[in-house]
Amino acid sequence: MSTDIQTLKSLDLFADLNFGELEQIAPLMHLMKVTEREVLTRRGEPASTFFIILSGNFMLSFNKERSFTLHNKGNIIGLSTVVAPFRYTGTAVALTDGLVLLMQGQEFLRLVQSNSALGDTIMRKINEIVLERMPYMTGTWGKGDINCLALKQ
Amino acid sequence: MFGFEAIIAHDGLGISVIGITIVFVSLILLSFAVSQIHKLIELLDKKNTSYQRVKKTQQKDQKTPSVSDLAIPQDVQRASRQFKLLIEWMGEPFSLPKLLYLSGKCGLSRPHSTINELLKCELIIPDENGYFIWNTRVEEKRSST
Amino acid sequence: MTDLFMEFLSNTGFALVDYRNIIMLLVGIIIVYLGVAKQYEPLLLVPIGFGILIGNIPIIKDFGLGIYESGSFLNYVYYGVTHDIYPPLIFLGIGALTDFSTMLARPVLMLLGAAAQIGIFTTFLGALAIGFPPNEAASIGIIGGADGPTAIFLTAMLAPRLIGPIAVAAYSYMALVPVIQPPIMRLLTTRKERLIKMEEPREVSKREKIIFPIVGFLLCCFLAPAALPLLGMLFFGNLLKECVVVERLAKTARTSLIDIVTILLGVTVGASTQADVFLTRQSIGIFALGAFSFAIATASGVIFAKIMNLFLRKKINPLIGAAGVSAVPNSARVVQMVGQKEDPTNFLLMHAMAPNISGVIGSAIAAAILWSFMSL
Repeated sequence: MSTDIQTLKSLDLFADLNFGELEQIAPLMHLMKVTEREVLTRRGEPASTFFIILSGNFMLSFNKERSFTLHNKGNIIGLSTVVAPFRYTGTAVALTDGLVLLMQGQEFLRLVQSNSALGDTIMRKINEIVLERMPYMTGTWGKGDINCLALKQ
Repeated sequence: MFGFEAIIAHDGLGISVIGITIVFVSLILLSFAVSQIHKLIELLDKKNTSYQRVKKTQQKDQKTPSVSDLAIPQDVQRASRQFKLLIEWMGEPFSLPKLLYLSGKCGLSRPHSTINELLKCELIIPDENGYFIWNTRVEEKRSST
Repeated sequence: MTDLFMEFLSNTGFALVDYRNIIMLLVGIIIVYLGVAKQYEPLLLVPIGFGILIGNIPIIKDFGLGIYESGSFLNYVYYGVTHDIYPPLIFLGIGALTDFSTMLARPVLMLLGAAAQIGIFTTFLGALAIGFPPNEAASIGIIGGADGPTAIFLTAMLAPRLIGPIAVAAYSYMALVPVIQPPIMRLLTTRKERLIKMEEPREVSKREKIIFPIVGFLLCCFLAPAALPLLGMLFFGNLLKECVVVERLAKTARTSLIDIVTILLGVTVGASTQADVFLTRQSIGIFALGAFSFAIATASGVIFAKIMNLFLRKKINPLIGAAGVSAVPNSARVVQMVGQKEDPTNFLLMHAMAPNISGVIGSAIAAAILWSFMSL
């Protein structure tokens, strides 16, 4: 089931997009109910889907059992679907029942192909989030050097 | 026939050179034509093209560490005692996935949603290094009220 | 009754199977596994893999079942491959799906798409040198164009016998673009070059996007008329997309139509891949030359970008030259990935789409030229 444009507009990832761009994205996003304990992503598996939280609470765990929790509408899970290494770097588990929007990686690639400017805009936003989460993946905290933040394969 | 003999016999070099030349010529001409299209349009319209870049700075959510004023439900209070014991056994800072795993093994009911409640009530808080600690400030405030 | 039963048994796959069927069935299973479990180009490898399974079930000849037997279901569906119907329809979908604006914004990047086609002609020479006849050498060379429909289009005309291995090679290497390209890109560029940030492209007006497919089609097909089926459909699809007034048609072309044709093409190409053609030394040669072709195409694009930088005031990041192989948009994504490894704030994806798209046009022109020469 695809999602409506108002819902997309309320999400931080798509907040800057105009109506026409949201119309292109809406058919690609699908609503999914999630139950407590459900695993959305597993670390190491090929990243094929990314999720945007509409409601519910989630825990993301990484290498060496580092983790953080996501509770807010608009938070994203499965970023490796659109950026290297294209394998999930963390395991995402639902702490409570909730609702998420999902987009398949292949659909995102099609979006990039059909509107590369829009794909680029979304990727930049996703990349900002990846950089914020990089310390959890690499274990390097408090280092501002860009070289340390370079995405590892 | 093999090697250069075969290439020469089948006029391979000629085909390759002419072929790549035609590909280049085609794309050069196409790129030239494309580069003129927008100039032609501008000329016809007698308009200047302009475009805007809209930048918005995103404000990150500011986390203000504060003691939660929410009342802790009774069942969460009960569960918090059990989780506190588990955390004391694990040591701090602790790994949240490991706490989840152990609480399930110990037979605590609905560990996922319980942990979520503890996070909401700020009895469990992140240590900003990917691990978590028990928030004794909240506990002290509860016991003093 | 016993005789009837024995006759029935003698017609089952168990009685007719030989070791080559088993090997091909294993190949099919491996390809399905790569598509499903590893998610390497699943939209292509899953139909092809299952098609290989279909085509290699041991059956009685002349029973009207096999893909090469006139009147069979598979034979009818295969008609679209052998008579070059499917590839142009896929190009219609690609045209309706693809945004050409990054290419229109900086037309000089089209030359990178041209440079990458050097891989095709170099491999053509290599195939001639190792003993393939010219028509087969041309079909093998086109693998370097990294364009499955183009490879099938040309091979169906010039060397229909080799459609199976060439299609499997082409699609497999397209799936392996993230593996093959990065080492070559890193080898041929310095860190300083990889860190080049490109200027944001100008905004392209709607009218430009509508005029371009018409101009592009006329120019390309006047120069290379044999490219008419492929480029005609590509530019037509793009016009459907950009003119907006026929959005329903554009949507059908880029969704249902391309998916239907991909299924039929994949299954029948897979089914046509049979042991007597696939399990030969020739196939090893085809796969080896295919990898060579890809590597040369990548290297040519990158090196040409470096050469262009000697003359350009506004430098281009040479990594985007690798996107001249027309695996859209995978090779553009690889460029993005390699660029971000050096500098996470360097976004090359949009810039890489320009040579990526012109590579599609370039490989179609190259195929048309080879077809013309081989038909003379």
